Amino acid sequence: MTQALDISERVAYREEQRIPAATQARTATSTGKLEMFVVTFGIAFAIIYTLFERWNWPLFTYHPAVNRFDLFRVVGIPEDGPPMFWYGWLVLSAIAATPVAAVATALPRQSLQRATVFFCVLAALWPIFYAAGLYTDEVATFNAPFLRSVWASGVPALAGAIAAAWLVSAERAERLWTSWLMIMPIGGLIILGYSLLDFFER
Amino acid sequence: MDILFSVISVQTFWKISVFLHFAVAVALLAAITLQAAAVLLPAPQVAGGPVGPFGPLLSAPSATLIVILYVVQVLLGAWLYIKYRTYVRIPMEGLRHWWSVGAFEFKEHTITMGLALLPAYWYFWRDPASQQYATIRKWVTVFLLFTVWYGVAVGHVVNDFRGVGS
Repeated sequence: MTQALDISERVAYREEQRIPAATQARTATSTGKLEMFVVTFGIAFAIIYTLFERWNWPLFTYHPAVNRFDLFRVVGIPEDGPPMFWYGWLVLSAIAATPVAAVATALPRQSLQRATVFFCVLAALWPIFYAAGLYTDEVATFNAPFLRSVWASGVPALAGAIAAAWLVSAERAERLWTSWLMIMPIGGLIILGYSLLDFFER
Repeated sequence: MDILFSVISVQTFWKISVFLHFAVAVALLAAITLQAAAVLLPAPQVAGGPVGPFGPLLSAPSATLIVILYVVQVLLGAWLYIKYRTYVRIPMEGLRHWWSVGAFEFKEHTITMGLALLPAYWYFWRDPASQQYATIRKWVTVFLLFTVWYGVAVGHVVNDFRGVGS
């Protein structure tokens, strides 16, 4: 009888231990997924917004003078007044970044960190190679119009991104992971700021 | 809107909107500046958390308040942007104030980038005592500080061109 009580107490103790451990594990998993979501969202939003602004891809255009919304990019007639694209870029970037961040939560942490290295290096190298191509075509004595192609600069950028994602160690990818949250928005602002130079040089 | 405009004039309505935008800007500027100062200047630590004049700002509720203020400010700014585009920018271009136009265009982008980082900022401030995110928490806060200061400075210039009291 004493032994039976003993066993019963021990089982009850184990159950008590197990429940908080399981709850803790669930909390840690959900916290980890939330972290993956917010970090990926910040990085993806910065990259996607920069691209949509540069390509001028708004989800909708607003014409404030006539209070009218048009789907996608519509410049309109001069009588419609100036078109506004910013709202459209903002909404489309949020819509695009949300599923990217949601997919990220389904990935194993190490794979996500490696994938982040790939996409961020690609996003950084592509404009660098593109700018280098434009500069080379401008100063070169030979005629090489392919250097002005945005797709041509994508090839070395893609190769660089694959190499970086392949070669980076798991520890370095983890250390870098949250740093992309700073690098990508600042990089985006440099590109977007450069595109506004015309205003400051007039 | 017609009911509203039967009570106040259109001009008064926009002036009130600009003033609200300004009032929220001041609150946000104060909160984010003090919080950034708190993360940049090491505060004495005790068992219950950081102490000193900035101690209460190193907390999750203060970060949540900043997030709310930031979002409200962006919504107010997005609303006023309509008026800016038609009533301010066109004469600004006519008078060749290109620096102001360019600076405001850049403000759009800085605020957007700040908005993108808000979820991460809120997440990193959930546990201000955690050392794991201390560095990124600090720099995300400083980045938001930059976006808010830049936004206020450019907004002030634009208001001086054609706004309340100009």
